[in-house]
Amino acid sequence: MQSQIASATQPAKQSLALTRPLQLVGVALLGVIILYGAGFVNIAAVHNAAHDTRHSQGFPCH
Amino acid sequence: MLFRQVVFYALLVGVLSGLALTVVQSFQVVPIILAAEEFEGAVVEAEATVIPALQSAGHHAATEEEVWAPANGWERTAFTMLSNSLTAMAFALILMAAMLASFSLKAGEKSLKAWWYGLAWGVAGYVAFWLAPAIGLPPEIPLQATAPLEHRQLWWVFAVICTVGGLAGLAFGQTPWRWIYPVFLIVPHLVGAPHPEGLMFPDQVPVVAAELEKLAQQFIGATAIANGILWLVIGVTAAWSVKRIVVALKAESSPGTGMEVPSV
Repeated sequence: MQSQIASATQPAKQSLALTRPLQLVGVALLGVIILYGAGFVNIAAVHNAAHDTRHSQGFPCH
Repeated sequence: MLFRQVVFYALLVGVLSGLALTVVQSFQVVPIILAAEEFEGAVVEAEATVIPALQSAGHHAATEEEVWAPANGWERTAFTMLSNSLTAMAFALILMAAMLASFSLKAGEKSLKAWWYGLAWGVAGYVAFWLAPAIGLPPEIPLQATAPLEHRQLWWVFAVICTVGGLAGLAFGQTPWRWIYPVFLIVPHLVGAPHPEGLMFPDQVPVVAAELEKLAQQFIGATAIANGILWLVIGVTAAWSVKRIVVALKAESSPGTGMEVPSV
C-alpha cells in the first residue's frame, strides 16, 4: 500500500521539478520577445513610437 | 504558478522603473534628442528648397513624413513611457528568470539574503545590457552617421550574449574554468562594433557638425546616468519581487517536492 502511494505520487513530483525550469525558460523567452518588439522591430510606426527609448537605451536605431 | 507570478511582478517592476526612467530622461536625455532634431528639420527644409528628390534619400526625416509618429509633447512622452516600461518589463523578466534559476547553484542561493543582492543584479544588468554594447556602439543622437542597422543590431546581440555569459561564469562558474570568463567579456570588443567610415555628421556644415558632436558627447553621459538609475530600480525591485515569490513558493511546496527553494 505504501509503495503504491509512493509510485502514484512519483510522476507528480517529477513533473513539478521539470515544469519550474521550463517556466523560467518561458519567462526569459517572453522577456526576449518583448525586448525584440520594443527595441528591434524595424517597422516605421513602431520605430517612431519607441524612438526616444531606443536612442536613450542604446538600441541600434534607424 | 511560477510563470504567472513572475510575469505579474515583472509588469509591476516594468511600470515602476519605466516611470522613473521617463522622469529622469525628460530632464537630461530627451532635451538633447529634441535639440538634435531641430537641426534635422533645418536639413529637410534646405533639401526641399534645393533638390526635392534628395528628400527621399534622407532616411529618417523623409519616412517620418509619411508614417505615423506620435506628436511632440504629451503624446510623444506617453509613447516613450510605454516603450520604456515595456523594455524595463522585458529586462525584469530576464533578470528574475536568471535570479530564480541561480537558486539551483550554491552561490545564487546564499546571496539572496545579502543587502547587496538587488544592487549586484542591477549592476550586472547595466553592464550586460547597456555598458557593454555602449562601449562599441555609444548611444547615438539623430542625424549621426551609422553603419547598416542590421549589422549594429547583430553586434548588439552578440555583445550582450557574450557579456551575460562572461558575468554568469564569473559569478557562478566552476574554478578550473574561471579564466575563460573574462575572455567572453572582451571578445565582442576585439571583434569590434560596425562603424561607418568618415565624418560623424557628414550631411552638415562644419559649424553645425561641431555643435552636434558636442550634443552627441553630452548624450552619452546623460544616457549613462539615466540607464544607471533604470537598472538600479530594476535590480532592487526585482530582488524584492523574487523574495516575495520565494516565500510564496515555500508556502505552496511541501519539503522534498520540485525545485529546491532557498530560505529567506
